Amino acid sequence: MTFTNAALDPQRLPALREARLVPVSPRLAPCQAVLRSLHWLFLSALAALFPFLHEDLAPWQPWPAVGLALLGLFAVGLGWCEARRRAYGLRQHDLLYRRGLLVQRLQVLPLARLQHIETLSNPVERLFGLERLVCFTAGGRGADLVIEGLSRDRAAVVRQHLLAQLERSGQVHDGASPP
Amino acid sequence: MSDEARLDDTDELSEWQRLSPWAVLLLMLSGGATLLRQHMPLVLGAGAGLAMMDRLGSRELAVGGALLLFFAVLISLLYYRRFRYRCDGDVLVVRKGLLEHREFKVAARHVQSVVIQQPAYMRPFGLVQWEVETLAGEGSRIALPGIRRERAELLGRRLSRPQYEPSAQGQASEVQTSRADKTRSEPIYAITAKAIVLHGLASRSIYLIAAMLSPLVRPLERWLHDRLPQLDLVAWLPASPWIAVAMGIVAVVVFLAVLAVLAAWWQFHGYVLHDEGERQVQRSGLVHRQERALSLVRLQVVEWVQTGLGRCLGRGYLVCHQYGAQGGDAAESRRFVVPGLTRSQGEALTARFWQGYRPVGSFRRVDPSYRRILLLRHASLLGAGTAVVLGLLVPLPLSPLAWAGLGLLVLVISAALAQLRWMATGWAQAGDFLCIRRGVLGQRTGIFPQQHLISLGLQQSWLQRRRGVATLHLELAHGRQVLPYLNEVQARRLADTLLYRVESDQAA
Repeated sequence: MTFTNAALDPQRLPALREARLVPVSPRLAPCQAVLRSLHWLFLSALAALFPFLHEDLAPWQPWPAVGLALLGLFAVGLGWCEARRRAYGLRQHDLLYRRGLLVQRLQVLPLARLQHIETLSNPVERLFGLERLVCFTAGGRGADLVIEGLSRDRAAVVRQHLLAQLERSGQVHDGASPP
Repeated sequence: MSDEARLDDTDELSEWQRLSPWAVLLLMLSGGATLLRQHMPLVLGAGAGLAMMDRLGSRELAVGGALLLFFAVLISLLYYRRFRYRCDGDVLVVRKGLLEHREFKVAARHVQSVVIQQPAYMRPFGLVQWEVETLAGEGSRIALPGIRRERAELLGRRLSRPQYEPSAQGQASEVQTSRADKTRSEPIYAITAKAIVLHGLASRSIYLIAAMLSPLVRPLERWLHDRLPQLDLVAWLPASPWIAVAMGIVAVVVFLAVLAVLAAWWQFHGYVLHDEGERQVQRSGLVHRQERALSLVRLQVVEWVQTGLGRCLGRGYLVCHQYGAQGGDAAESRRFVVPGLTRSQGEALTARFWQGYRPVGSFRRVDPSYRRILLLRHASLLGAGTAVVLGLLVPLPLSPLAWAGLGLLVLVISAALAQLRWMATGWAQAGDFLCIRRGVLGQRTGIFPQQHLISLGLQQSWLQRRRGVATLHLELAHGRQVLPYLNEVQARRLADTLLYRVESDQAA
């Protein structure tokens, strides 16, 4: 490996802060709410049906289910607010995704590292006309970036753009070559 | 081997090859032994084996055993018949499978490491187990479980040279290049007896061995309880119970240390690292010989590791990471490890692996608010743990003063741990390289070229946003490196620089 040590001016580097982020589809919030509600309903039903063996505790049986349902309601509310804040961005050389409400996270995937792309959707997402864009990099450790809440048309456009970038860098037909 | 013989072998590799018949027999025996070892608790546990013998009778068991052996031989023969491999130019083609036929193709340009292992039982037959790992990581390993050593070496050379041309001219150039490799191959590090002993003491084997032996504690305790009264120990045990306990602890630690040194000897006896230009080759092993080749082009991250005891003894080891390493720190034994190094040796080898790397003098520390967060985390965890154990599980009648003293102790321990961890966490930029250090008593320093970044994440909790700090998650080929609680401006600048390095490197 050859050694290069070019001097960089940090002020002139493209800044992450200045990247323009586009909000994901507003349909993501109700979609997430439905998915989370189903999840918490299942947990509450399990708690309601769980038999209390001790007779003294039997009168308290509904309370764990009620507690879980309330917790679920809070989680659904938080999830709704969080989904409304999600955003993604495309720059010439990388893909950005921002998520989180209390703990915010901005993920950046350089397009040079992209190996292949998938679009996924479950029945609830399909009901809301949404798709997930899953980006994989080298190393076989699973998906590195998952963008949720893209409308079908938007997902197709982003996917086409990423594929065009991949083809340009000659990685589509040589998926395992080192980045 | 002469050049003519090598040319013959090169031709030979273009044809379909089978495993050695001896290898199939050995694989069947070792597979049977492994199966028996893995299911030993099931067979012998709680007298199940004896009960089954009583119920079935010896004749039925013998018939069953013969049937099992027949099927094992049949499956082995089928495996031998189906398993074949050849080289098509610089592509290794492997066909195998009993019910489902599978064909694997590995192109030389996708190979990141080659491992040759020779267990003791294969040595008399001159056979080795040959493994190749591609850029897809450890899950993509393909093994040829029993071929001649010469053929394994030839395969290794063939796959380390992507420009291979199968013409007569190409063969001649291969012979010339291999001769050049041989003259260029020079040992750059050989382990000494002292280094093995120190590595054994300083490595984490001592904890692993202690964990492995922990199930024996209860039977040993029972045996001592039964046998101790019959032995006249009073004559040679010290009168003071405290001294007796201290001696017992010292004896256990010495026993574990001896086992750890023996384990290091078993694994790293005769360890030699050769520089073969673009390839670094290590050979080691007392009984189970192993040869591992590392392609420097595929090298992603080098980690300098020192345990707490290792720092006292002035020893550490290097772990070379490539793509797709699974199992985290626990799976180090499967990686390219250079053991028993002093700090200067480690720095010299790292500089050799990566031209242009210069050791960093000092590391930048993260924001002091990280220390307060750690103190809070440790104190609440330790405090809650202590309260649950002493208050509920083992209720002790402690006075309020004793509880206060205990609380103070928890606070002091938490503060010490937080301070040590904050001091150990640091980062430094050295030219094109980024170094990230973490740990508490022991320390791990990841060193990697900035353009080797895969992706990054900038994370901020509401508290971090108030304090103007951020946590940087750097995804690398072998896993994640985290820089917690960096000044936000610094974190953003570092993120911008890393992305610029990756993207400009690719554009170049």
